[in-house]
Amino acid sequence: MTHSLLRRIGQLLLVTFGVSVLAFLLIHLIPGDAAELILGAEDRSPEALAALRADLGLDRSLFAQYVIWAGHVLQGDLGHSISTGRPVLEEIAGRIGVTLELTLLSMLAAIALAIPAGCLMAVLRGSAADALTRLLTIIGITMPGFWLGTMLLYGAGAIAPGVPLIGWVPFSVDPVGNLQRMILPVIALALPVLAGLARVLRASMQEVLFADFIRVARAKGLSEARVIFRHALSNALIPFITSAGILAGYLFGGSVVIEQVFALPGLGRLMVGAIAERNYPLLQAALLLATTAFVLVNFVVDVLYMAADPRTR
Amino acid sequence: MSGTFLFRLGLTLVILQAFAAVFAPWIAPYDPNAQDILARMGGPTVEHWLGTDNFGRDTLARALFGYRTLFAISAASVLGALLCGGGLGIAAAWRGGWADTVTMRLMDILFAFPIILLAIGIVAVLGPGAVSTSIAIGVVYLPIFARTLRAPTLLLKEAEYVVASRAVGAGEWRLVLRHLLPNLAPVILVQTSLSLSTAILVEASLSFLGLGTQPPTASLGRMLAESRSFLSLSPWPAVFAGVAILLAALGFNLLGDGLQDRLDPRLRQH
Amino acid sequence: MQRIALIGIAALLPLAAAAQTLEIAVDQSPAGLDPHVATAFSSAQITSAVYEGLTGIDKDLRVIPALAESWEISPDGLSYTFTLRAGASFHNGRAVTPVDIVANLERVRDAKTASPIASRFAGIKTIEAVGSNQVKLTLGEPSAPLLGQLAVLAIVAPEAAADLARKPVGTGAFKLKEWVPDTYILLEKNPTYWAKGLPYLDAAKFNIVPDAATRQIGMAGGTYRLAPAIDAATAAALKDKPGLKVLEAQDLAYALIGVNASKPPFDKPEVREAMNMAIDRGQLVQAAYFGRAVVGGPLSPALAAWTLPNSTFPCYTPNAAGAKAKLAAAGVAMPLKITINVLGSVKQVVDNAQVVQAQLNKAGFEVSLNVQELGKFVADWRASNFEVFASLNGGGIDPDDYFGRTFATGGATNVFKYSNPDLDTLMNQARAETNPSKRKTEYDAVQKTLACSGPVATLAYGTLFTAVSDKVEGFVPVATRSMWYLRETKLSK
Repeated sequence: MTHSLLRRIGQLLLVTFGVSVLAFLLIHLIPGDAAELILGAEDRSPEALAALRADLGLDRSLFAQYVIWAGHVLQGDLGHSISTGRPVLEEIAGRIGVTLELTLLSMLAAIALAIPAGCLMAVLRGSAADALTRLLTIIGITMPGFWLGTMLLYGAGAIAPGVPLIGWVPFSVDPVGNLQRMILPVIALALPVLAGLARVLRASMQEVLFADFIRVARAKGLSEARVIFRHALSNALIPFITSAGILAGYLFGGSVVIEQVFALPGLGRLMVGAIAERNYPLLQAALLLATTAFVLVNFVVDVLYMAADPRTR
Repeated sequence: MSGTFLFRLGLTLVILQAFAAVFAPWIAPYDPNAQDILARMGGPTVEHWLGTDNFGRDTLARALFGYRTLFAISAASVLGALLCGGGLGIAAAWRGGWADTVTMRLMDILFAFPIILLAIGIVAVLGPGAVSTSIAIGVVYLPIFARTLRAPTLLLKEAEYVVASRAVGAGEWRLVLRHLLPNLAPVILVQTSLSLSTAILVEASLSFLGLGTQPPTASLGRMLAESRSFLSLSPWPAVFAGVAILLAALGFNLLGDGLQDRLDPRLRQH
Repeated sequence: MQRIALIGIAALLPLAAAAQTLEIAVDQSPAGLDPHVATAFSSAQITSAVYEGLTGIDKDLRVIPALAESWEISPDGLSYTFTLRAGASFHNGRAVTPVDIVANLERVRDAKTASPIASRFAGIKTIEAVGSNQVKLTLGEPSAPLLGQLAVLAIVAPEAAADLARKPVGTGAFKLKEWVPDTYILLEKNPTYWAKGLPYLDAAKFNIVPDAATRQIGMAGGTYRLAPAIDAATAAALKDKPGLKVLEAQDLAYALIGVNASKPPFDKPEVREAMNMAIDRGQLVQAAYFGRAVVGGPLSPALAAWTLPNSTFPCYTPNAAGAKAKLAAAGVAMPLKITINVLGSVKQVVDNAQVVQAQLNKAGFEVSLNVQELGKFVADWRASNFEVFASLNGGGIDPDDYFGRTFATGGATNVFKYSNPDLDTLMNQARAETNPSKRKTEYDAVQKTLACSGPVATLAYGTLFTAVSDKVEGFVPVATRSMWYLRETKLSK
């Protein structure tokens, strides 16, 4: 166990290193650079460009730039944003809350609704109901979030005129207003996850409902509701939780597009904006954090599996 | 049985839309790029069944050609990912040891990036266009195919009949071609179909963000993005573009789902 | 069900936090608020409410007094003496002195500042403080555009110069209260503003709303009360909404197709003329601008004293057959395959490019579009690494300044590598000419040359649309996109 755990940690470090190299390369291979964008139309002299490049450290070789950057990162210095001059950690800290709130609310909404929906679908038997629930969940899974978001934006004005459903206000300033503005983005982001989770739960519920201990419970004369919620559900939740974990990653990725649609100042929009302005330090740091978080979560899941299932050791 | 019905529905959707994509030049009622300013932003009429956009281009014609773009890019990227990623996954599992570790860690690195951001980055590096979009989506799906095919290969490698064949001196290639691939076929079919469904959504998201094919080439995601600012004047292009994307993704998902039911004996009992 | 719940939540809320805060929706975050460094529209529309120059530009594009209440020009046109406004002070409370003005000009011209507007003030020989409230500028040669250019030189508090990008300190009617990056910039009333009684508003909140559709819905729903510089489609969608009006101003910025005049095929004047003849500008305005733009020549129709009527440009009459004949005369094979780099970050440009593509394809060209994101477009543009490009250009309020920069051989923004010695001579004559009617005749000739065989096919001068709520009074949009009139804006209940 200890040996394989050490091996996993070694792999984790290796993957993190690879991620940092790939993120760095990808960003710096994008044609056009920050210096050209800053100077723009007004000053086209090669001297000004060279001076600004030297100032931003872009005149060195890619390898040297990577080594310098990685060295600073290892000392805990992620650099300063090119466009605002603020430390990138400050910029990211200002944005990550929005993305976390969006994904967390979406996950909660999806789970809260998926459990009753999945149970209901599991109980509804017969081929027509079966086909209908499957069709509905698959439509939910394949619903393009940016399209649903657009339709919701326009529909909202008609359904609830006067309610501030767009834009964004900090939770600390106006909690109710903040939550109101999260309603539409959460619907658009959560629907595919809700549908996916409901489907998983339905499948595992149906499997469980055939199991012997349920027959026993029924035979003992327990009420159907008690059988379903108490016995079947608790046993069907394991695949459900696993799926929820996997879908959390999807939510983070999906929030990139949803933040664009709803103009939410989250991490996704920060990164898309940073690509457009070639804000290398900001983009590198944000990508590094996002990917490392993802790798870490996977690592923890792996370790938990290892602990639970000796065969995977 | 309900599964049969949905499977048939998916198959029908896929066939109809693929037909539309392939034969768009012959069945489209108009040239998708022909502008007619006098007829712009019209609702559905006898002349323009699905209305027109801000340049007076026919929405139906553009949707049909949009399917062409969508299917071509999604199919190219998923097939590319299947061949490269799937091939790597199978090879890694078959060889085992260092080759396996190195390949799968490389796939882990790719897999760690949020899908859309990785695709945006690759398109930004390569410059926008159909080829770079296909490559970007293909790269995103590499690790998915590698992982999906590696696991069953590991099991099959140790399966009794493979071990037995090896014992009687069957060649590696023969084993792979005769035993491994036929047994992987169900997984490949299901995963390809489901991946096509999500690749369609990724392609649509990218062109929604302005990173797909170049205008004026019809593209469903771009159609939606372009019509957003005049949605309250004329919602039709946006509505139909979204419905078309949904139907395309739905078709492949139903198909993949149905295939899974049919091909995976573990699920067949229900 | 959901509807009832939502309305229920809404009823619990107080309607608005502060009565006199104007909610403004702008499309992008400013790159910074140091007005000597960040000169893009996104910054200028905010810095113009925080800072002032010695002079200002009013809604009719005339030079008006701002921080200088008056000025005198010597008879030879070589020295300018400005008298500063009595009672003007910086947001930090310190009174503005002539020494501050000197420090500002020096800061802009200092190479370390890397100010993109430095070149505009290269002609100033000396600047000195005179007494307690006057500044004297001396020029090497007379400069007609100087007063207008000084409006661009925002006066900052020199002691705050180090951190202006984040903490602006100016003399304007509003000062920065809070900046949440990429979310909003909150300006509050400057209580010590020199114009008594102004501004009327207590605060102006610039919400960063990058998506046009979201801005549109926010305006229609009353979340935002003012949205400057919206696109034509959004304006068309909003103009009939109850409670809203759309203000219009003739934009100085124009849409253009620029060519690389140093490389085949556009090194041949005939090919450039053919392109001009192939473009149907009237149709383009209908198709891409919803009819809300003005076809113009090399100078903006806003500069009425200088511009020539379009009828004086023969190539402005759409003529596909004529275009083909020109191409044939130039000896190029038809269809002539060209690639247009398109600035993808501006929807208007992408729309224009699609219309022009369709038009050119009917007149002997075969056009492919290469829609680029901003970074790649700017890189190619700066390096003249394009065959043809489609973009928007800022234009200028004075022909000297604008023509010289853009079309003179080796001009600062002559990315076209266009070189026409005859035109250079003509422009030099015009700049030094003191007789107004002769100067006009010379600039007429410049315009005629540029309109048809120059490196730029001017497409249209857009309308600057500003959506405002009926509750907003006194706001006037200015073609320079300055928010000068925000100080006179009121919000009624």
